[in-house]
Amino acid sequence: MELDIPEILKIQRNRHPLLFIDKIIDIIPGKSATAIKTYSYNEWFFPPHFEDDPNVPGFIQLESLVQTFIMTFLSIDGNEGNKTNFLKINNAVFKRKIVPGDVTTIYAELESFKRGLAKGKARSEVNGEQACSAEFLVSLPAILDTFKPK
Amino acid sequence: MSTLDKYRKVFKECFQYDGDVDALEYQSIEEWDSVAHMQLMAELEDEFKVEMDIDDIIDFSSFKEGIKILSKYDVEIA
Repeated sequence: MELDIPEILKIQRNRHPLLFIDKIIDIIPGKSATAIKTYSYNEWFFPPHFEDDPNVPGFIQLESLVQTFIMTFLSIDGNEGNKTNFLKINNAVFKRKIVPGDVTTIYAELESFKRGLAKGKARSEVNGEQACSAEFLVSLPAILDTFKPK
Repeated sequence: MSTLDKYRKVFKECFQYDGDVDALEYQSIEEWDSVAHMQLMAELEDEFKVEMDIDDIIDFSSFKEGIKILSKYDVEIA
């Protein structure tokens, strides 16, 4: 199943200039998602990062991974449009600089989603070369809060 | 390792806490917040191969209360 921008916007709440996925090319709700993000020099962060060596800041690379990751569980019936909170990031690795003109493919896997806590990982590639990878713990407060001890 | 030792180990690892876990209650330490609570429940379920009901997750308000709750799932912590 593919999702375009209007469909992505229905499922998750990130918006321009902080939306870092362009298209979902494959998604299995509750299991995995694959996204595409194309970086044009028109991106707001290239001129300041850096004038003489434009490349995608690490925090934006990670954000694109986690935005793909949250699609794996926000696409489950009933979760669409909910707020999420970024709780933990582990083992972030950056292997390749991403520069204007690069197209990244981001692969995300949901390892568990229980009581509003989602654990999983994502990695990005450019032309088959690994760019960035990390493991995530993200909460969905609307569900998590219903399980809090009183 | 006894079930009590395993139970204590899950608490210590989940909260990264070196103190006496036997006296812990929900939110009695900064580390046992609502997010860590869900991680604790998941770790205990994995360790003791059970799946707790929502009411038991909500009632799991302390180390000691947890021992009573797990006994409902035939897990004897001793």
